[in-house]
Amino acid sequence: METNDNDKSSVIVEVIDGGPLKITGQILLKDQKKDISDNSVEVLLCRCGRSCNKPYCDGAHKN
Amino acid sequence: MEREKNTYSGGRRYRNNDITVYWKPDACVHASYCYRELIEVFDPGRRPWVDMNGASTDRIIEVVNMCPTEALTWKWNDEEKNREISPDQTNHVIFRRPELLTEIEKAVQGNPVSVKIMMDGPIVIKGDFHFQYSGNNKEMKDGIISICRCGASNHLPFCDGSHRKIGFEDK
Repeated sequence: METNDNDKSSVIVEVIDGGPLKITGQILLKDQKKDISDNSVEVLLCRCGRSCNKPYCDGAHKN
Repeated sequence: MEREKNTYSGGRRYRNNDITVYWKPDACVHASYCYRELIEVFDPGRRPWVDMNGASTDRIIEVVNMCPTEALTWKWNDEEKNREISPDQTNHVIFRRPELLTEIEKAVQGNPVSVKIMMDGPIVIKGDFHFQYSGNNKEMKDGIISICRCGASNHLPFCDGSHRKIGFEDK
């Protein structure tokens, strides 16, 4: 009998073409200084280097 | 230095006051990083071949983390400190040999996916997760990936170290 893996809160890391990194699920998000959040449901992380709100995406890649 | 319990199932272990280094001979591929980097500690011609007094704890951790296999792994002797290990500590036993963690350490660690924002560098993601990229869905089991944050990598979406060349800064 197989157990259903999907009922565990699985984490999805998605590279959005021409856009940010989208992570859904429970993660431990850390930067150098502190734990930013230990209970995130969804985060969008900047991949272009231009966000003014790093590490998060602020849409700057569109400009 | 106590000599008595330096064996365990699967290999040997070596301690100093801070950490324990585990040696699993079956897993060694002789990449030689250990003795090329730190012969004072890792000397294949000596018995025992690991001398934990040969260098600082920080330096030993640094070199153990270079081992490309699970032949050399390490953990803090203080259980509390094993609860929060960042993904760049690649050869901590949590990433390579979780069977060596105590029950307490395992229970606390659970299996969270850790996402670490490296200063002026990439996003390092570690754990069990689904990685979706260009229409592919790859199931990562105890995986680790490093995603470019500066936009300059030649291997997007992965980091290739270009952030240093372009002087990427978080500010």
